[in-house]
Amino acid sequence: MMKNERILEVRKVGEDVFTIFFDSDFKAKPGQFLMIWVPGGREVPMSLSSVSGTFSITFRVFGETTRSLASLKKGDRIFFRGPYGNSYPEPEGRAAYVAGGTGLASLLSMMDLYEGDTFVGARTKKELFLIREGFRVATDDGSQGRKGSVVDLFTEEMENYNSIYVCGPEQMEKALMDRMINFKGKVYFSLERLMKCGIGICDSCTINGFRVCRDGPVIELRELKKLDEFGVARRSESGKIQFLIPADR
Amino acid sequence: MVSISTRVGNFLLENPTILASGILDETPGSIERALREGAGGAVTKSIGIEERKGYETPVISIIETGLLNAVGLSNPGIDAFVSEFRSFREKGKTIVSIFGKDADEFSKLAKMVEGIGFDKVELNLSCPHVKGVGSEVGQDPDAVEEIIDEIRRKTNLQIWAKLTPNVTDIIPIAKAAEKSDAIVLINTVRAIGVNIASRKFTLSNVIGGYSGPGIRPIALRAVYDVYRETGKDIVGVGGITKWQDAVEFLLLGARAVEIGTGIMYRDLGIFREVASGIENYLEEEGFSNLEDIVGAALR
Repeated sequence: MMKNERILEVRKVGEDVFTIFFDSDFKAKPGQFLMIWVPGGREVPMSLSSVSGTFSITFRVFGETTRSLASLKKGDRIFFRGPYGNSYPEPEGRAAYVAGGTGLASLLSMMDLYEGDTFVGARTKKELFLIREGFRVATDDGSQGRKGSVVDLFTEEMENYNSIYVCGPEQMEKALMDRMINFKGKVYFSLERLMKCGIGICDSCTINGFRVCRDGPVIELRELKKLDEFGVARRSESGKIQFLIPADR
Repeated sequence: MVSISTRVGNFLLENPTILASGILDETPGSIERALREGAGGAVTKSIGIEERKGYETPVISIIETGLLNAVGLSNPGIDAFVSEFRSFREKGKTIVSIFGKDADEFSKLAKMVEGIGFDKVELNLSCPHVKGVGSEVGQDPDAVEEIIDEIRRKTNLQIWAKLTPNVTDIIPIAKAAEKSDAIVLINTVRAIGVNIASRKFTLSNVIGGYSGPGIRPIALRAVYDVYRETGKDIVGVGGITKWQDAVEFLLLGARAVEIGTGIMYRDLGIFREVASGIENYLEEEGFSNLEDIVGAALR
C-alpha cells in the first residue's frame, strides 16, 4: 500500500547527490529498499541509507524522477511502499564495506550499526559523496585517493576481513566476485537490476530464477556464483535478454 | 490413496495448480523455479509479434482487496522468445500465452511456438488495458472463433482461450471459443485507482486490471456460467490465495486453477500449499479423485 510522510530535511551531500530524511512507523533493516513514487511520474526502487532513528534515502540525480525528488522541500510529502527485500546479515569478525557508484547509500545503513572499514570507488573526485575520515578511496582518474579501481584497492586487503559487504554497479561486483574464488569469509553483495513491481511478481529483475527484489537484494557470494547470468546478461524493460560487454571496473 | 492429478484437454497435470500468465513467467529460470516449487504447470507471460517495453512505472498498485496492474504486455517479441526458449527443458508443462490483433497474428505466433516444440498455447483474449489487442479482440465472438479456427487449421496445438470478464454476457464469447480445448476464466477486471494525498492516478497507464481476492466471486460466477452452458474443460483463475479458494473453483466446474497474484501474498510456496490442501480435503471428504468434485456444486 502506498504511504506518505512529511519530509524532515533534504540535504545536498555531494555533486548531484541528495539525502531525504523522514520519519515513519515502519520497521526496516539495513539493506532493505523502498519503492519511491513521484505522483504523476515514475516509481523507482531506492535503498534506505539509514534505518535507525530517522529514515533516509540517498540518490544521485540522473533523470526526471530523481530531479523531482531532489527538488522536494521540508514539509513536502514523500510517497513510498515497502520496506521490501532481505537485509545484510550481522557481521562476524572484522567487517569491510566496499562501495562503487551510489552503492555507498545502501551500506551507510549498515555502517550506522556496525563498525568496519570502508572502501569507496568512483570515476572521479566529483562523484564522491559522504566520505568520512578513514575511508579508503580509489578514483579512476586519481583525482582523490588511489588511482585505479576500488576492486584493486580492496583485493589487496581482502584477507584482513571476515565479513564483507559490497554494493555497486554490477560489473564492479562481478569483478570483485571473480577475485574471491578462494576467499573463506562471508561476502554479501547487494544487487541492482531493472525493477518494476518490487514485490517478486513481475519477473523484471530476475537472474536465473533469483528475484533481486524479493529473494534479494542481498545475496551471499556462494549463492551469487551459481547465477551464471550475473555480470553477463541483463533484461531490458521488455524482458529481452541482453548480453553485457565485460568491463574491468 | 487420493489422486489430485487432473486433465485439461489432453494435458495431464500431476496437480491442478498452474502459474498464471503475467506473473513470474517471462524468464526460463522463473518458470523452472515455479515448477520446482510445486506448480503442476505454468503459463508464460504473453508474447506478441513485436517487442514491447510495456508501460512506465508505476505498473502495480496494491489495494486492500488485491492488486491493480497495468504492465502493458511487456514482452521481448516472438523472435527473441523463440531463441531464448528453444532449449527450454520444461516445454511439456508449459503453456505459451500469445496475443495479437487478429487471426493472422495469432496463428503466426502459434506456428512459431509449435516450431520450437511447445504443444499448448493460451490465447490472451482478455488483457484489459492495451489498445487493439487482448479484451478488445476477445469481446468480439466472431474474432474469437476465427482465431481459434485458424490456429486449429495451421497447428496441432492444444488451445486454451483465456476470456475477459469485462463483458455484459460471457456466454456468447465462451460459445465462440467452443472449438478450443479449454477455457480459462478469468483475466483481470478493468479498474482504476487514485491516491488521495496526491490526487493522482496510481498507475501510469491510469486504467489497469484488478486481480487478487476481491475478484474471486466474479471469477467463480464466470466459471459457473460457462461450465453450465458449455460443459467444456475450464481452468479457473482469479483471487486464489489458499486451498479453500481453489476447491471453490473445482466445485463450480474448473478442472485446474491458475495462481498469479496469490504469489504476492504467499510467495512460491503457494502451489504446494494449495495442492496439499486439496489432497487433504478430498481425503477427509471421502473422495478418491479430484475429478469427483469437478462441478459437484451443480449436481
